[in-house]
Amino acid sequence: MELSDWQLVEKCQAGDADAFQELVSRYHQKVFMVILGLMRNREDALEVAQETFFRAFRKIKSFQGGSSFYTWIYRIAVNNAIDAQRKQKRNPLDFHESMDGLFEARNEVGKDPFSDVHDRELRENMTKAINELTPEHKAVIVLRTIEGMSYKDIGEILGCSEGTVMSRLHYARKKLQDKLSDFL
Amino acid sequence: MSQCETIQESIGRWLDGELPATDSEAVRSHVAGCADCGAARQRLEKIQLTLGSMLSAEASRLEFSPFWREVQRRIDEKRPWHEELIDWCRSTFSAPRLAWAVPAAIMLVLGFLSLAKWPVGGETNNYASVESIDAYGRNVALLRDDKTKTTIIWLYQNPEGENENVEETAKPGPAF
Repeated sequence: MELSDWQLVEKCQAGDADAFQELVSRYHQKVFMVILGLMRNREDALEVAQETFFRAFRKIKSFQGGSSFYTWIYRIAVNNAIDAQRKQKRNPLDFHESMDGLFEARNEVGKDPFSDVHDRELRENMTKAINELTPEHKAVIVLRTIEGMSYKDIGEILGCSEGTVMSRLHYARKKLQDKLSDFL
Repeated sequence: MSQCETIQESIGRWLDGELPATDSEAVRSHVAGCADCGAARQRLEKIQLTLGSMLSAEASRLEFSPFWREVQRRIDEKRPWHEELIDWCRSTFSAPRLAWAVPAAIMLVLGFLSLAKWPVGGETNNYASVESIDAYGRNVALLRDDKTKTTIIWLYQNPEGENENVEETAKPGPAF
C-alpha cells in the first residue's frame, strides 16, 4: 500500500532517507515544471529544483503538516526560483530553443508544415510573453496551469489572498492574450 | 459594460471552477450561445494548453536518477560555514519570528530608556525648595531635577513682608 505524503514526511523526520527519496520521486517533475515556468533557462531551473529539495530536506524536521506537503514544497520552489531569477541573466531564448528540439524529437512536428510554423511561433512568443510578466504574475499562471490548483492553494503557496490570486491571474491572462493575439 | 464584457471578465474564473454555481451556469449558457465569448474561451484554453504542454514536455525529459544523485550529493556534502550561517539566519529571522521580535525589541529599548532615566537604586539629585528672592518677602518655589535643570513652580509674596532668610545687606528693589 502506498504511503501518503504525510506518512513519508514523518518517516523523514525520524531519519529515514529512503522516505525522502520517495517524496522527491513523486514531486521532482512538478517542482521542475513550476521552476522552469518561472525561470528562463532549463539548466538554471534544474539547479534550482535540486536546491529546492536539498533545502526541503534540511527543513523537513520543522514541517508541522499545517499545509499539505506539495503546498510546502512548491512554496520553497517558488521562493528559490524568484530569488534565482532575480540574480541570473542567462539567455531567455534557451528555453524555447530547446522546446523546438524537443517537439521535433517527440515527432510532434512535420505533419502539417503550416501548423508546425504556427505552433513554433506560438511557443516562441509564449516564452517571450511569459518572460515579460513579473515573477508574481508568472507564478500564479504557472501554478494554475501545471496543477490546476485552487486559488486558495495558490494563495497559500505565494503567501497572498485568494482575491490577489484572482486579480493576478486575470491580469496575467489578459497580458498573454494581448501579446499572443496574432497566434491564438 | 456590455454583457459580453462582463462575461469575458469571468471566463477565466469559470474555467478554473472558481465561480459560484449560479454565476457559473450563467457564464456557461452565455458562452454556449455567443461567438465572441466562445472565442475568448478558446483563447484562454489555448494559452493554458500551450504553456502546459511546453512545461510537461520539458519535465518528461527529466530523469529521476541523476536528479536524485545531485540532491543526495548536496545532502551528504559538508557545507561551508558561511552557507550554514546564512541558512541559520534565514530560519531564525524568518518573517513570522520577526513579527514577534519587532515589538519585543521596542519593549526592550523602552525598558532600557526608562532605566536610564530613573536608575534603579541610584542616587537622585532631585529636591524642592523655597527661596527668597528679595527683601520684600517675595519667594519662589523651585524644583531642581538635576544639576542643570530647575523648574520654577510658583512665585508668591509673603503678605507680611517678612522673610527670615533675608540678609541684612540685601538692597531693596525688585530682583527681576
